[in-house]
Amino acid sequence: MKNFDYEVVIVGSGAGGAMAAYTLAKAGHKVLMLEAGRDYDPKTETPMFKTNAQAPLMGAGNVDKDFGFYDATVDGGWQVPNEPYTTGDNSDFMWWRARMLGGRTNHWGRYSLRFSEHDFKGKTRDGLGADWPFEYEELAPWYDKTETLVGICGTNTGLDDMPDSAEGVLQPPPKPRVPELLVAAAAKKLGIATAPMHRAVLTRPKDDRQACFYATPCGHGCSIGAAFQTTTSLLPMAKATGNLKIITDAMVRSVDVDENGQANALTYVDKNTGKDIKLAAKVIILAASACESARLLLNSKNAHHPNGLANSSGQVGRNLMDSTGTGVGAHIPALEGRPIYNEDGHTANHLFVPWWGHKQHAKGELDFPRGYHFEIGSGFRAPGSGVSGNLQGYGKELKDQAKQYYGAGVYLALRGEMLPNEHCYMEIDDKVTDKWGIPVAKFHWKWADHELKQVEHGLKTARKILETMGATFNYPLPSADKAILKGGQIIHEVGSTRMGESPKDSVTNQYGQTWDCKNVFVMDAGVFASNPHKNCTLTIMTLAMRNASWLASQLSKGEL
Amino acid sequence: MSKLIKEDSDIQYKSTITRRESLKWLGILSATAVLPSLVGCEGNDSTTAISNAVGDSIKGHWPDLTLSPITVKGYGKDPSMIIPPKSPWPKTLTAEQLTLVAVLADILVPRDGDVPSATQVNVPDVVDEWVSAPYGRQQSDRLTILSALVWINDEAKLRFSKAFTALSANEQLKIIDDIAYQKDDLAEEFTKISRAFSRFRKLVLAAFYCSPEGTKDLGYLGNVPIAGDYPGPTDEAMLHLNQVLNDLGLA
Repeated sequence: MKNFDYEVVIVGSGAGGAMAAYTLAKAGHKVLMLEAGRDYDPKTETPMFKTNAQAPLMGAGNVDKDFGFYDATVDGGWQVPNEPYTTGDNSDFMWWRARMLGGRTNHWGRYSLRFSEHDFKGKTRDGLGADWPFEYEELAPWYDKTETLVGICGTNTGLDDMPDSAEGVLQPPPKPRVPELLVAAAAKKLGIATAPMHRAVLTRPKDDRQACFYATPCGHGCSIGAAFQTTTSLLPMAKATGNLKIITDAMVRSVDVDENGQANALTYVDKNTGKDIKLAAKVIILAASACESARLLLNSKNAHHPNGLANSSGQVGRNLMDSTGTGVGAHIPALEGRPIYNEDGHTANHLFVPWWGHKQHAKGELDFPRGYHFEIGSGFRAPGSGVSGNLQGYGKELKDQAKQYYGAGVYLALRGEMLPNEHCYMEIDDKVTDKWGIPVAKFHWKWADHELKQVEHGLKTARKILETMGATFNYPLPSADKAILKGGQIIHEVGSTRMGESPKDSVTNQYGQTWDCKNVFVMDAGVFASNPHKNCTLTIMTLAMRNASWLASQLSKGEL
Repeated sequence: MSKLIKEDSDIQYKSTITRRESLKWLGILSATAVLPSLVGCEGNDSTTAISNAVGDSIKGHWPDLTLSPITVKGYGKDPSMIIPPKSPWPKTLTAEQLTLVAVLADILVPRDGDVPSATQVNVPDVVDEWVSAPYGRQQSDRLTILSALVWINDEAKLRFSKAFTALSANEQLKIIDDIAYQKDDLAEEFTKISRAFSRFRKLVLAAFYCSPEGTKDLGYLGNVPIAGDYPGPTDEAMLHLNQVLNDLGLA
C-alpha cells in the first residue's frame, strides 16, 4: 500500500483482528488489515424491522442462508462457494465461515460471559486438557476494559461461575420475561440458580452507538450499533485515528519468510483480479478464525519450516475444540393462552442458567469433568415459516389451538465445555484446493465420554426443570451420542494454535506470539488453551486487547 | 388482496398477480374441463392409482408421483436483504392446483369476522413459492403436498364423481373430516394422507400468521422500537405468572 507506512499487518477483521487493530491504532501504530470477504456496511445493509412475510420462504433457512434469509452472514454459512473443506473417515464436522468485513461478529449471539478462575486452571484441578499460561486475575482488568469498550449488559451475580466485573462496567440488563421467570422458579426449586445473561448489547448509548430499542433480531445485524459488531464500532473507531487501512477481498495464501526463515511478507489473492500480491510485513497478526489461521500456518511451509510456520511443536491444528450442544424443549400447559405482551426484548436470553456444579465437582459427585450452561428459548416470537404444536382439525378450532400454543413452548439449549482429545484436529487435505488453489482444511472429529456423559447429565437436568414447570414427557430422552450436535456446529471452534508455557506443547506464548517466529502473532480463538462453556468471543476480544497492548509496548521499545 | 371467486358454480383462485398474467391464467382455466383430474403432475396419470382402489375393498390409494426436480438457482449467498427478491424462482403450480390449494387453505383458515381468510392474504401464492423452491426441504414438501392434492381430488372423484373444488361445502368437509385428525384409531386408508395434510396445514398456518393480518390475529406485539428501557411483562402477564407459580407449587 503506497504512502501508508504500516508496521503491522492483520489478517481478519472479526473479533480478534478488529480489537487488535483498534488497540494498535489507538497506541499510534499504523496497521494494514486484510479481509477475505467483501466490504460490508451494517448502517445501509441491515434488514431492520423486516418481517418474514417480506422474505422468500417466510425467512426460512436453506443452503444459501443457513440461519434464515435475514441472517447477517454474507457469502458464507456452513459452506462457502468454491472454498470447500473436507472431513476424515467417521468424522462429522461443520465449519461456519463468513466472507465479509467484520466476519462472524455481524451475526453472533452476543453472549459475553467471562471465563473464571476455574476455567483457566482446569488441568491443575482435574489433570485433563491444558492450563492457560496465566490466572484469572491477570485477565480480570482486561475483561473490565473490554466490557467497557464493547458495552455489555448484565449484572454481577456473585455466583462462582460468573466473576464480577468492576463497579460501573456493566450496563443494566433488560427485565426478564414470563417464561424465563418460570424457568428461574423451577430451577430454584431444584437448587439451581438463574442469572441475567451478559450480552454485548447496549442498553445505554455509547460513542456513536445507540441503545437497544428492543426490536429486530440481533442476528440480522444492527444498523444502530446497539448489538456489538466490529463494523459499527472497533473498525470505524480505529479508522478514525488515521492509523488503520483495510483491504477487502484479500484472501491470504501464505506467510512468507526470508532466507533466514524470518517471516517478512504475506501473499494474498486479490479476489477481484485473481492475482497474487506480495506484501512486505514487519509484524503479522493472524486473526482469521481458529481454523483459518491454523490452515494458513500449515500452508506456509518452506525449507525452514517444513511442517508449516510456527509448527515446531506439531501442535498447529491440534487440540481443536467446539462447545458441546444439545437441548430439550417442551410444551408448558401452564403457559397456554397467557396474556400477550411484547417479548422481543433484546431478542435473546434475558435470563439463563449458569453452571452450578463446581461444588459437586469438588466433591467428586459428577461423572464428567467440565461444566455447561443452559440458554432459554421461549417467548411470543415473530411469526415465521414454522408453527409449533400438534395441531389438528381446521377452521376456528384450528386457529384456537395455534393461539393456545403460541408462546407456550420452552427450550433449554445446553452449551458445555469439551476437552481436547487426539481424535479432534485439523490438517491440510493434500488432495483438495479451493478456487484460489489454496489447499483446504481437513477435519477429524470424535466426541469423548467426557462430553457424552456431560450431555446425558444435561438432558436429564433439562427434563427435570421442564417437568417442574409442568411439562410431561411421554417419550424417552435420546441417548447422548444421538443428542449431541456435530463438532463445529456451535461455532465455538478454538485451540488449533494454543498458547502455553512451553514451545514443546504449545504454538504461542501467553501473548499470542508464536514461539518460532517472534514477529508472528495469533489473536483469534486458536490460542485458547481450553474451551470453557461460556462462548468464546468476549475472551477473544479481551486477549486481543491485552496482547495487542503488549505488542504495542514491544514495538515502542523497538523489540520487534 | 387475493380471493376465491365463485361464478356460475365455477371456482377459481385469483392472486395478486399482474393483470396480464391473470388474463393468461383465466384463459388456462376456461380451457379446462371440469371433471378430469384437476391435478396433472408432469405426465403422471393419477387415475391408475384410483383404479386399484375401486370397489368396496378400499384400503387406500396413493398417487406415486414422479416429479422432475426443480433445478433453478436459489437466491444465492448474498441477496439484498433490504429489497428481498420478489420472485426468486418461477412458481410451478398450475391454475387448477392453485385453486385447490386456495379452497383447502380457506377450509383451514376461513374468514372469521374481520379477520380475513387464508386466501385473502395470498396464502396460496406463498404455498406456490414454497413448493416451487429449489431447496431440499421445500422439494420434499413439494412431493408431500402435490401428492396430497392428487389424493384429495381422487378421493372426491371416488366418493362423489367430481373434482374436489366442484363439491358442495358439505361434501368437501366429509372428506376433510376424515383426514384432518391424526388420531390413534384413524382408519388405515387415511394415515398417509392425514400426515401429508398435516404438513400442508402447518404451511398454510405459517403463511397466514406471517401476513400482517394474520400476525395481528395471532397477537404478536413486537417488532416496534421502544424508547427507554424494555418494559418487561405487563401487570396482567405477571398476575398470570404468579397464579401459575402458585398452581405449580413454585411460588
